Amino acid sequence: MAGSNEVNRNESKMVVPLNTWVLISNFKLAYNLLRRPDGTFNRHLAEFLDRKVPANATPVDGVFSFDVFINRSTSLLSRIYRPAHGEEPQINITDLEKPVTAEVVPVIIFFHGGSFAHSSANSTIYDTLCRRLVGICKAVVVSVNYRRAPENRYPCAYDDGWAALNWVNSRTWLQSKDSKVHIYLAGDSSGGNIVHHVALQAVESNIEVLGNILLNPMFGGEERTESEKRFDGKYFVTIRDRDWYWRAFLPEGEDRDHPACNPFGPKGKILEGIKFPKSLVVVAGLDLIQDWQLAYVKGLEKAGQKVKLLYLEKATIGFYLLPNNNHFYTVMDEISAFVDSNC
Amino acid sequence: MNKRNHQDTSGGAGYGGIRKSDFQSKAKIWEEGQDAGGGGGVDELLAVLGYKVKCSEMTDVADKLEQLEMVMGAAPNLLRDTVHYNPSDLSGWLQSMLSELNNSPNTFHDRMLQSHHIDDPLHVPAESSSVTTNSQQQQFETTQSSRIYNDDSEYDLRAIPGSAAYPQTQDRERNQKRLKTSGGSNSAPPLLPSSSPIVGVAAAGTVSEPTRSIVLVDSHETGVQLVHTLMACAEAVQQDNLKLADALVKHVELLAASQAGAMGKVATYFAEALARRIYKIYPQDCLDASYSDILQMHFYETCPYLKFAHFTANQAILEAFATASKVHVIDFGLKQGMQWPALIQALALRPGGPPAFRLTGIGPPQADNTDALQQVGWKLAQLAEAIGVEFQFRGFVATSLADIDPSMVDIRPDEAVAVNSVFELHPMLARPGAIDKVLSSIKSMKPKILTIVEQEANHNGPVFVERFTEALHYYSSLFDSLEGSGLVPSTQDLLMSEVYLGEQICNVVASDGADRVERHETLSQWRVRMGTAGFELVHLGSNAFKQASMLLALFAGGDGYRVEENNGCLMLGWHTRPLIATSAWQLIVSDSP
Repeated sequence: MAGSNEVNRNESKMVVPLNTWVLISNFKLAYNLLRRPDGTFNRHLAEFLDRKVPANATPVDGVFSFDVFINRSTSLLSRIYRPAHGEEPQINITDLEKPVTAEVVPVIIFFHGGSFAHSSANSTIYDTLCRRLVGICKAVVVSVNYRRAPENRYPCAYDDGWAALNWVNSRTWLQSKDSKVHIYLAGDSSGGNIVHHVALQAVESNIEVLGNILLNPMFGGEERTESEKRFDGKYFVTIRDRDWYWRAFLPEGEDRDHPACNPFGPKGKILEGIKFPKSLVVVAGLDLIQDWQLAYVKGLEKAGQKVKLLYLEKATIGFYLLPNNNHFYTVMDEISAFVDSNC
Repeated sequence: MNKRNHQDTSGGAGYGGIRKSDFQSKAKIWEEGQDAGGGGGVDELLAVLGYKVKCSEMTDVADKLEQLEMVMGAAPNLLRDTVHYNPSDLSGWLQSMLSELNNSPNTFHDRMLQSHHIDDPLHVPAESSSVTTNSQQQQFETTQSSRIYNDDSEYDLRAIPGSAAYPQTQDRERNQKRLKTSGGSNSAPPLLPSSSPIVGVAAAGTVSEPTRSIVLVDSHETGVQLVHTLMACAEAVQQDNLKLADALVKHVELLAASQAGAMGKVATYFAEALARRIYKIYPQDCLDASYSDILQMHFYETCPYLKFAHFTANQAILEAFATASKVHVIDFGLKQGMQWPALIQALALRPGGPPAFRLTGIGPPQADNTDALQQVGWKLAQLAEAIGVEFQFRGFVATSLADIDPSMVDIRPDEAVAVNSVFELHPMLARPGAIDKVLSSIKSMKPKILTIVEQEANHNGPVFVERFTEALHYYSSLFDSLEGSGLVPSTQDLLMSEVYLGEQICNVVASDGADRVERHETLSQWRVRMGTAGFELVHLGSNAFKQASMLLALFAGGDGYRVEENNGCLMLGWHTRPLIATSAWQLIVSDSP
């Protein structure tokens, strides 16, 4: 039950630091301005409001970045983040794609969140997050600037993710000493959803993905689950806005039991017996859609797939954007261990 | 005052090696900081993410968010047509929305009458070298157009739809109120360079640590080799190893010849520039003015950078002139006057009728002694007459803007003044003292608005190889955009555009001292300079952003060109690489005598 607005505000304010509350409430307000009731999206205002940051070939805190075209004809860009090795004050343009040198270098293909409609690879919040991942996992991070809804519906985002996976897999400069690219897929919100679907395609095409990291992944279904009813409007998110984003992403006329939204639902694929990557699924205990996320984990378990659930009881959406809470550090440690364990 | 910039991560925002044990002590510092009000410091964690919020304002900002949420819940359509400014200044952004909601709805005309005011600039005796005057007597009857915020309207690049260019006056008031009440840097006294983090938090890098933004346009094997050889050549030049440099530059030319597309062309121009530097054969005199104008016209036709520059600058000028009955634009580089037909048309469509419009155009001396300025002035006068705008033109010939004596520019009482500079300020950095003199001259003209468009790059660093590298990235993106925008310009337009850019490359790479005039600097650097000189930003808003984006989509068939908002300024870039920046300024209004 939604309860009064007054109660809701006080509740969400009590569980996150004030600056986090401000940050996420700011997004919530901005996003409300962008979604139109008729299903269209105020893209111009979205781009105006989004805080962006350019790539930077000058290392900052041991990380440098540059943008590349994955696919020139569709203008599919990705931002590549690499660890700098101490001595270099600047990275030469010729060294941007210099071969990686360590024995094993994890390459994390990252899909930013935004419910399929918001944000970009060069959004500051995601640039910051990707930079952290480089340090934590000693990895190269490839952040994919996938096409967004409602202008580009299913399966565009998945197609772009798939293109990125193929691109990464075929870069010799990303190969570890065993001449293979050690690929992990990671994403938050809609990005988490994309991780699942790209991994599925990878399995079907025999490209090895070493692990999936899903942070508050975006799943749903026609049914109204307990968590949706219980948390509606309480911690920054409403059922109504979730519905809006699915309507914007899914093909017209499709409902939320479409397998893109509900992979273990009535129209979902069977995952038994296939070599699906191991998964780390992070669920925030105050997330509206946690029942769907937990159902996803169950689905993987029942299909005999390896999955670790990290359930953070008092976490809200977006907790991983600011390093000012325990959940943040817990998750970063888990991700580090997850990516490391293959060595 | 918290001087830490967002790259300094001792506040816990470090990227590598975060340990839980570090967290406890840091959390305590944050809590203490917030409890104690944090003084004048900004919240560092939010600053990293592009939002400037003072610690002491955090609670207030949260309150505003709650208020707005209440209103939005009750009446979600209320803010649908709002013009937004500077989203990085969260407090200001929220306050402007609250103010808009608190104002009772008035008609546009009522608002206009309430806010009508007349400027009172310094009266200077008139002295000039060349005068062309045309006065128009007829007034033009305007009809109220209602094309504001209409997503479906077609925009002609050559004309700004008049009323769409005029925000509601209440927005302008809001904007001015915001400049005074917001806690941001805009209402502070002239900024010192060490405060630059607060000025440009969303832009990575301080003045001393350059941000190098690269979009790899060509990962192809030959492309990499080409760049490698170019860099090696630049290194050799810097080390004065001219024999090696010569061998390398020849190798570049060879490779470039077999490299298709933008990369090959860029490499060829850079190689030629390097060769000139090696052999010291840089022409001492600058390019013939009329030839340079022609090149720029082709550039204008081929790609949207100049159109964006003109459009966004005009937008700011129109907003500043919204209620003035007499306006005077001083254009620091008239050239072919391509910026002004659109402004004249927009003024003609102004609700309530156009103001009397004076244009002062400044230009360099012509080799053949023709009065190019007069010719342009005449053409503009004809246009103005045709659409019923009272128009006067005066031309000034000056070799350098620093030679302009402000008293020569006839500023009259009760006219609103705009000073406009599109790519004309950076050459002033070639001579010591010139930029200060120019900024000082501008100040004495008491402009209501100063519009500046500059290249978004640092091509003015002291180290040759760094300059070279920066320029290589920058012009690679520019050339790539010429190739890749989807529209096919005429071969001649494209070629001339490339030559236009090639001239700039040559100047950056091959010349030095007073001859090196293409001393581009980034918006971050200009912010500091302008703040020190006594100017504060006038924000460009979401309306200008949206219209610029729509024009680009029309022009280029979509894709690569991107408009970006940066702390109250607008940038145009190719994909993720900003290439030019428009900013609008006014004199800082000091409250103390």
